[in-house]
Amino acid sequence: MAAKLLPVVKLATKVGIAGGAVYVAYDSGLLGGSEQGSEALQKARAAVPPAIEEWMKYFGLQTQLPTIPNIEFSPVQAWNSGVRWSISRLSEAPTKAGEMTTQGVQYVRELLK
Amino acid sequence: MSERELGRKLDRCLADGVIKLGTGLGLGIVFSVLFFKRHTWPISLGSGAGLGMAYSNCQNDLRSHYLLHRNQKVGLDEETT
Repeated sequence: MAAKLLPVVKLATKVGIAGGAVYVAYDSGLLGGSEQGSEALQKARAAVPPAIEEWMKYFGLQTQLPTIPNIEFSPVQAWNSGVRWSISRLSEAPTKAGEMTTQGVQYVRELLK
Repeated sequence: MSERELGRKLDRCLADGVIKLGTGLGLGIVFSVLFFKRHTWPISLGSGAGLGMAYSNCQNDLRSHYLLHRNQKVGLDEETT
């Protein structure tokens, strides 16, 4: 009787764990829209340092963690500044090329003197 | 769409992508360990599904600016009648 019940109990436990994981993911908004996802990420980032501190205290490690630098990276800003830099270099390129050619010619003349 | 709004939407897309990838990976690992004898394919499937959901959300978010929403349409209908 017990031998027959054991596989059923095992399967039920596995289904329960898997179903619980899916439910927790759904309930905390991880499978929802973009706004819910970014809110969840903010909450996770805010919750990580205190959790790490607690675990360190639990294991008796009192070392100071280095503070995570607050990286503010905007893809749009980076792209725009890259475009501006490229175009300004392109507009200066003929003038710079002329100057460098003149300097090169002068250098060669001095070498040949 | 202004640049600031576009920047905010892209930031949201990135954050959502990270969350959905992590969630898909996590659920894939759970299912792989519990039901599929620690094979790799459920993990790949979960990660891919998560990335796909994030892509779809991002697409809808970026398109929503150019769509006429229901509450705006109701307002227009009330003006014309």
